[in-house]
Amino acid sequence: MLTAVKRRMTQSSLSRIGAVLTVTLAVLALWALGAQAGARAPVKVLDFMTGADVAKAEQEGEVVYYGHDSEAGISTLLDAFKKDFPKIKTGYVRLQTGALYAKLTSERSANRFLADVVQFSEVSPAIDLQKKGGYEQYVSPEAAAYKPEYQSTPAGSFTWAGVTFAGISYNKGRVKGEQIPKVWQDILNPAFKDAISVKFSSSGSQHVNWYMLRKLYGDGFWKEFAKQKPRGFDSRAQLFDRLSKGDDAVCGMAEYAGYVLVKEKGADIELVAPPDGLTATPIVLGILTKAPHPEAAKLFIDWALSARGQAVYQGAKILLYGSVRADAPPMATGKRLSDFKLLFPSDWSDFVESHGMFVKEWNAIMGL
Amino acid sequence: MTRFRWFWSLLVGQRVVSLLVGGLAAVLVLYPIFYLIQAALNVGDPQARPPQEYGLANFGGLFQYPTILWNTVVVAVLATLLAVTFGFVMAWILSRTDVPGRAVFEQLMAMPYYVTPLMGALAWSFLGAPRSGFINQIWRAFGGAEYLIDINTSYGIAWVMALFEGSVAFVMIGAVMKSMDPSLEEASQVLGAGKVRTMLRVTLPLVIPGVLGATIFVFAEMLGSFSAALVLGLPARFYVITTAMYQMLAQYPPRFPLAAAMGVSLFAVMFAMLFLYRRIVTAGSYATITGKAFRPRPMHVGKLRWILFGICAVYLFVAAILPILTVAFASLQKLAVGRPTWQSWTLDNYVTALSLDAVRSALWNSLLLGLGTATIGVLFMGLLSWIIYRSRIPGRGVIEYIVMFPQAVPRLVFAFGMLWAWLSFPFSIYGTLWLLLIAYLTVFLPLGVRTISSVLLQIDKSLEESAQMCGASWGYRLRSVTLPLLRPGVIAAWLLLFVASVRELGASILLTGPNAKAITPAIVEAWFSISTELTAAMALIQTLAVAVALALLFTFARRASQYGGE
Amino acid sequence: MVHDNASVTNPTTSLGDAHIEVKDLVVQYGQVTAVRGVSFAVRLGEQLTLLGPSGCGKTTTLRAIAGLEPPTSGEIVIGGVPVFSSAKRINVSAERRGLSMVFQSYAIWPHMTVFDNVAYGLRVRRLGARDIADKVRWALEMVQMGDFAQRSASKLSGGQQQRVALARAFVFSPSVLLFDEPLSNLDAKLRAEMRIELRELQHRVGITSVYVTHDLEEALAISDRIVVMRDGVIEQVGTPFEIYNFPRDAFVADFVGSANLIRGRHRPECGRDGLIALETPGGTLVYGTTHGRPVGADGVFSVRTIHLGLSREAPAAQANLWSVRIRRRVFQGDLTQYHVDWEDRQLVVRCTATDPLDEGEQAYLTVDPHRCVLLEAERTTA
Repeated sequence: MLTAVKRRMTQSSLSRIGAVLTVTLAVLALWALGAQAGARAPVKVLDFMTGADVAKAEQEGEVVYYGHDSEAGISTLLDAFKKDFPKIKTGYVRLQTGALYAKLTSERSANRFLADVVQFSEVSPAIDLQKKGGYEQYVSPEAAAYKPEYQSTPAGSFTWAGVTFAGISYNKGRVKGEQIPKVWQDILNPAFKDAISVKFSSSGSQHVNWYMLRKLYGDGFWKEFAKQKPRGFDSRAQLFDRLSKGDDAVCGMAEYAGYVLVKEKGADIELVAPPDGLTATPIVLGILTKAPHPEAAKLFIDWALSARGQAVYQGAKILLYGSVRADAPPMATGKRLSDFKLLFPSDWSDFVESHGMFVKEWNAIMGL
Repeated sequence: MTRFRWFWSLLVGQRVVSLLVGGLAAVLVLYPIFYLIQAALNVGDPQARPPQEYGLANFGGLFQYPTILWNTVVVAVLATLLAVTFGFVMAWILSRTDVPGRAVFEQLMAMPYYVTPLMGALAWSFLGAPRSGFINQIWRAFGGAEYLIDINTSYGIAWVMALFEGSVAFVMIGAVMKSMDPSLEEASQVLGAGKVRTMLRVTLPLVIPGVLGATIFVFAEMLGSFSAALVLGLPARFYVITTAMYQMLAQYPPRFPLAAAMGVSLFAVMFAMLFLYRRIVTAGSYATITGKAFRPRPMHVGKLRWILFGICAVYLFVAAILPILTVAFASLQKLAVGRPTWQSWTLDNYVTALSLDAVRSALWNSLLLGLGTATIGVLFMGLLSWIIYRSRIPGRGVIEYIVMFPQAVPRLVFAFGMLWAWLSFPFSIYGTLWLLLIAYLTVFLPLGVRTISSVLLQIDKSLEESAQMCGASWGYRLRSVTLPLLRPGVIAAWLLLFVASVRELGASILLTGPNAKAITPAIVEAWFSISTELTAAMALIQTLAVAVALALLFTFARRASQYGGE
Repeated sequence: MVHDNASVTNPTTSLGDAHIEVKDLVVQYGQVTAVRGVSFAVRLGEQLTLLGPSGCGKTTTLRAIAGLEPPTSGEIVIGGVPVFSSAKRINVSAERRGLSMVFQSYAIWPHMTVFDNVAYGLRVRRLGARDIADKVRWALEMVQMGDFAQRSASKLSGGQQQRVALARAFVFSPSVLLFDEPLSNLDAKLRAEMRIELRELQHRVGITSVYVTHDLEEALAISDRIVVMRDGVIEQVGTPFEIYNFPRDAFVADFVGSANLIRGRHRPECGRDGLIALETPGGTLVYGTTHGRPVGADGVFSVRTIHLGLSREAPAAQANLWSVRIRRRVFQGDLTQYHVDWEDRQLVVRCTATDPLDEGEQAYLTVDPHRCVLLEAERTTA
């Protein structure tokens, strides 16, 4: 009697289980398919297109940004975003690119995922991250305004949110007449020993500077430069602060944006654009996998790459990155990127591979 | 007794609580150290967790940087010499002579401690940078050549560290001088020796062990100094071990193994120093510390009085007041110069600083953390003090060592170990304020336990024993007798912990996260990435916030004690 | 007084039985052995004093009984219940032994009032507020501090603190009171007064007491029995009268009052009337009593300085009568102390000051043979 009941029970429960399983599998498949299909259909929010679910993003309520700009710069950027989307809080971590990537990889290797989006000041860590599968594959609707060479290959990992470029700058009170630098080789002038500043090896723009000048002037260039005993700093703000006060005579990697900001305060400095060109690096922005706030992250990227966001990147004096967006207006200074002779690496993979060598050589130059 | 009562009394029984508290302390301290040593011995893939290969190769890397090792030692030695000199002179003047205003000066000697080396470094950077420093600008205006002082050297760093650490040396040496039996000196004088001879033949030899102990202690601290070397050394390519470690971690790929090896070496040396210090202090065959409170007879110094008064005033001015004034001066200018014109004054820096969400949230976080660290800290460290110095629990000697351990580890090095340790921790406290709280509680263990136990040891054992003989259990005794009597020590420890955690840099700088920012690392970040004037404004805001908070807490504590009855 | 506290020790033993027993107590601190095998018993209602010089182990023994010092080995039994036994691994914590203690430093809690200090033990035992108020009043009246109940304890003089400490100790009617040199921090006059008060109090309340002191007068005044200790062992146990008049050895003789020690060869043939005679190296015969102790070939008499008599003329019919010369005279108020030349040594005599003798004078020294007590054979110290 009991066994019969059991058999009936098992039979009906088996079929029940089977039904549940099938439905579950179907749902899973549909969901996976949906995810595979990628973004939803883009919607317009404010004045740009976004592939994010804005309601969901606002529900997530926060976006965490890892970036290399100064605190004030990041604040400006994030405050602008918050103004447009008041329901989404912003959090950030500021470290120079090398340190930023070090922190990110440490966290991720320990399964801690705190960051939503990350912005680097050069492509090396970005390509490394891409190789490791750290970027969420997301092609922003706004990316349509960016040429393929300004995006990751394949597209969807990161995009060029702007460009920063650097020349030589000097303090007019300390450097006069014959000594005034005109070409890149002038930073090797022994008169500038113990009086010239550059950035540390963690800086993206410094990497590009090193790479390009090495390509142009040979391996011996930086060996000569080591004799200058240059001083290293973390940010362009610090470089220009010291330059304007006269603590340094010359800055060997002087970014246009930093120059403009300090010149407005009345600093007695001058920027030199060597005829061979100004070394330039893109700043690259992308979403991370396992982001704690994925929809907000997408919204942010779309915003940042849109004309609206690019206006902040280009317009805020503390950021002043030239935009590579096809329809971008001039920068706040009235200039465009095309007004300058910019030196970009031609072979990106060679550039990326050189990073290790750069860090080693640059550390040695810095005395580390 | 009901079963519940029995279980409850077992739970709060002395043994169980001691085990829990002592165990917690051990975990907090040893867990990061373990990871640090593990990282130092990792000769395989730095990112591998756990390490695949172990070896001593990383320590070999140390020898590639002899300059850094040398710099560390030079700065430490110079700073120690200066600090001990300052401390000795001030202790001498304030406890052995009859200079007017001694009591006030003694209280004021705590000020340099609250100013902290970071503030001092910022201020002296404004003052003494070879080109832009105010002092040098004035020097050149008067026709001087180049510059008068260059603060970006080992001397400069040592000077700033010594000004700050001088107050620590003062407290230690002062304690030794105060506990000297004046009859030892009087005997010398009665037998005919003059003041100077007495000082050289009787006083000095008796004080030497204490001074030696203070010197070793200060030296150990100077080896691990960070903030001054960071602000003043980096611009001049001058690295010490701690700042070199910081740089090595701030690049990609980060040089974990080398940084860990440096950290472990530094820690080993500091540990040896502190071990030596303890031997000297506890050996004390110079029986000047008799446990009785002496009032040493102050020496009459006649006309010298005003000169000595001047020395005290100058020290306090240079160590405490000048930095604050300088930073304030710089913060109110657009571009800080020594002789500002009318146009260069502005309040913009404060406006910007206060509008920066980073500053507001960082300040709020730090104050909150300060409250948390202080409150939890006094409870935790109070219990630890009691266990170590008043209980009979076996193993309390081990707990004492564990609690004093963090003294031997520079904060940055500890934070490095903590980073690895707590990164892998199953519960996600990484990147939250909880991690900072845990870090603070750990690195401040020596400070809190030392403060509370110095008061605890003054409470006669018989006060607790008589409560025991009246039948009171351990918990009852603690609540009704020990804690009320301990109150001044608890309050002092609370305030110390509060200020220390708001001012903390070395540990915090590695452990902050997107939503867990602290104010002092924020100030340093600002120094590196925004204008110096803005940084000055932030530093002053932080100082004011702490001062206001302390004032509020002081009045609160005072009012509470008034109602609490005598 | 009915003792109705809910303590571990419920005295079920009858009067005369041991209330506290200490057996073979050994207490070690690291390398130092403070107490080396001490055994004694305290009867119900008795006041026993541990007397000895500093370092003799008396305080350590007391604290071991209290439970504040963990002994190394031995046994302590209170009211028939073992509170410490190294063999059976028993160690009852101090707060549960049901004892009470008065400390040398009084240990009054400065952050409480007098009332709260005294009430502490009652509050621990969770008595009702009314009960507590009654008992505290009773205790404070007993020590004549009734008016001070609401005074802050930090504002009391030494003597006042002492009384409060006392009141606090007996207010919860413990079965045993321990005293750790409670009067040593008071000045001489106050000490003398408090001594008497303590004795009266102890009798009135009828508590078993163990008292520790190094002050001889105190011990003699307040004790039912005294235990004299030296270097961690017991030298002699007895009533004050016994200890004073019949010391066992040279140490006790000289510690409990001042004594002259006279060594000599036993001359059994010269003994008479129950007295024995010892012949000094100088040939003088000294008569004294054995107090039941065995006498060997040699012996030592202990003669209290106060029992020797000095006079200008020789009194008649004295067993011990010697001619001496006054070497030095020291006026000490109630008594005058003389150092006299006798044989080839000096004796110390203390007598009242009527008709003082001058230095250099010849005089006659007498002492009642019953006052010359034979010491026990010398013990080799461990």
